[in-house]
Amino acid sequence: MNQVDVVWRRRRRRETRHLLMSVLPGALWIFIFLVLPSAYLMSVAFMTNGGFGQPQLPLTLDAFRNLAGFGFLGWSPGNLYTLWRSVFQSVISLGLVVLVAYPVAWYISMCRPRLRAIMLLAVVVPSWTNQVIRAFGWMNLLSPGTTLSDLAARLGLIAPNMGLFPSDFAVTLGLVYNFLPFMVLPLYAAFEKLDHAQIEAARDLYASPLRTFFVAVLPQTLPGLLAGSVLVAIPAFGMYVIPELLGGGRSQMLGNLVASQFGDAANWPLGAAGALLMLLATFVGLLVLRRMGRRLGGGSEMVI
Amino acid sequence: MHNTSFKKGLAIFWWLTLVFLYAPLLVVMVFSFNAINTSARWGGFSLRWYERLFNNDVVIGAIGHTLLLAVISSIIAVILGAMIGYGLYKHRARKLGLLIILIYLPIVMPDIVFGIADMAFFVQINRLTGLLSPGLSTMVIAHVTFQIPFVALIVYSRFVGLDATLFDAAKDLYASPWQRVAHFILPTIKPALLSAFFLSFTLSVDDFVISFFTAGPESATLPIYIWGAIRRGISPEINAIATLMIASVALVAVLSLLFNRRRA
Repeated sequence: MNQVDVVWRRRRRRETRHLLMSVLPGALWIFIFLVLPSAYLMSVAFMTNGGFGQPQLPLTLDAFRNLAGFGFLGWSPGNLYTLWRSVFQSVISLGLVVLVAYPVAWYISMCRPRLRAIMLLAVVVPSWTNQVIRAFGWMNLLSPGTTLSDLAARLGLIAPNMGLFPSDFAVTLGLVYNFLPFMVLPLYAAFEKLDHAQIEAARDLYASPLRTFFVAVLPQTLPGLLAGSVLVAIPAFGMYVIPELLGGGRSQMLGNLVASQFGDAANWPLGAAGALLMLLATFVGLLVLRRMGRRLGGGSEMVI
Repeated sequence: MHNTSFKKGLAIFWWLTLVFLYAPLLVVMVFSFNAINTSARWGGFSLRWYERLFNNDVVIGAIGHTLLLAVISSIIAVILGAMIGYGLYKHRARKLGLLIILIYLPIVMPDIVFGIADMAFFVQINRLTGLLSPGLSTMVIAHVTFQIPFVALIVYSRFVGLDATLFDAAKDLYASPWQRVAHFILPTIKPALLSAFFLSFTLSVDDFVISFFTAGPESATLPIYIWGAIRRGISPEINAIATLMIASVALVAVLSLLFNRRRA
C-alpha cells in the first residue's frame, strides 16, 4: 500500500466521520420516532386482535379479511363502502380541483409579474389557517338554516330544513377547498413557461378553443398537472379531519376508519391494515410521479 | 385565445375563486361578533364571545400549550435539521440516496398514519418502560420529527446558493473548525435559520392530526380544544378563537409580504 493511498483513505474516513456527526442526530431522530413506529404499526396489521384492541400473536391475515368485510357476524360491506368512498371522493375532488385550478393558474400567469406573487399568496394564505378552522367555516356556511342551505332547498336540491352539511357533498367541497392551492402552484409553474407561439399557431390553423387547449396548452402543462394530481389525490385519500367534521357517520373515509379502530372500535390490527393501505397508496403515487416526471423531461426535483 | 373576452372571463373566474377561498374564513370572523348564539342569523354586534374566551382557563391553557410546544419543538428541529442540511451540502458528491429518502419520509407520510404510528409506538414503550406517557413530551417528539426535513431542506438550499470557494477561503485563513462555524457558517445561514424557525413554528401551530394522536389529557393545544368544542356542538366561542388564529396568520402573511418587498 503506498503513501498516497493511505492518506486518501484516512481522509475518506475523516470525511465519513464528519458526515455522520452532522447528519446522525437528526437522522436517528427520524428513524427512531417515525421509521420504527411505522414498522411496528405495519407489524400490527398482521397480528390478532386481543381484548381491549391490543394486538397479540399469532400472526394472521385476519385484519385484512376484516378490512374486506369479513367479521364476527359474517360478511358486511361497510368497510368496502368506506374504501370505495375514499377512492371516489379523492377522484371527484381531484377532477373539480383541476377544473378550478386551470383557469386560476392561467389567469395568474397572464397578469403583471409584480401582481403574480400577491395573487399566489392570496391563493395560499387560507391554507395557512388550521384545517379544523377551515372545516368549521364551511360548517357555518352549510349548516341548516343558512342562506346557502335555504337556496339549495328552494332549488329542490335538498329536502327543506335539511342542511347541506353533514353530507358527502360537504366532504367533497371541503376537499376541493383544502387542496386547491396544491394544484394551482404546480400548474402556475407550468403556465409561467408556456410557449405562446404554439397557441398562436393552433389559432392560425383555425383550431377551436377547446382543440387549441388540448393540442397546445395541455401537453405543455402536463408535468404541473401530474405533480398537482399526486399532491391532491394522495393526501385526499387519507384525509381525516374533513370527513369527520363535514360528513356525518355515513360519509366516513379510510382515515376515519383507521382512527376509530385505535379509539372506540378498539381493533388495532384492522386500523393498522387500513394504514398500510394508505402508505401503499402514497408510495405508488410517488413512484408514478417520478416515472412520469422523467418521461416528460422533468427531473426528480419535481417531487415536491 | 389571448383575446380580451377570454381574459375577462378568466378574471371573473378568479374573483369567484377568491370568494370561495375566503368565504368560510370571513363567515367565522363576522359571526364571532354576533350577539346571538347562531351562525345562521345576524343579531347585532357584540364582544361577548371574546369576553367569555378570555375568562376561560382551558382556552388560556391551550394557548400556552400551543406556544410552548411550538417554541421547544422548533428549537430542537432547527438544531438537528441545520446539521443535516450542512452534512448534505458538505457531502453532496456522495451517494446519499437512503438519507434523502429518510428525510422525505416525514413529508410524504399521510399525517394520520404518522400520528397513529407514533401513538401506538409510544403506548407500547410506555407499557414496557413507563417512559413517554402521552403529553407535551410525546408531542414535542412527534413535532420535531416532521419539522426536521423542512429545516434541513431550507438550510441545504441556502448552502447551495453560496459560493463554494468561501469555504476554502475560511480554511485558507487558518480558521479552526469552530471558528469557521462561529464566524462564517452561522452568520451566513442566519436568514435561513430564521425562516426555518418560523416555518417550523407555523407547522407546529397549524398541526392538528399528529398532535391529536400524540397528546395526553393535560396537553390539549388550541386546535385540539377547537376540535373538541366543535364535536360538542357549534358554539360562537369557537368563532372567536378561530378569528384570533386567522388574524395572526393574516398578520404573518402581511409581514412576510412586506419583508419580501423590502428585500426585492
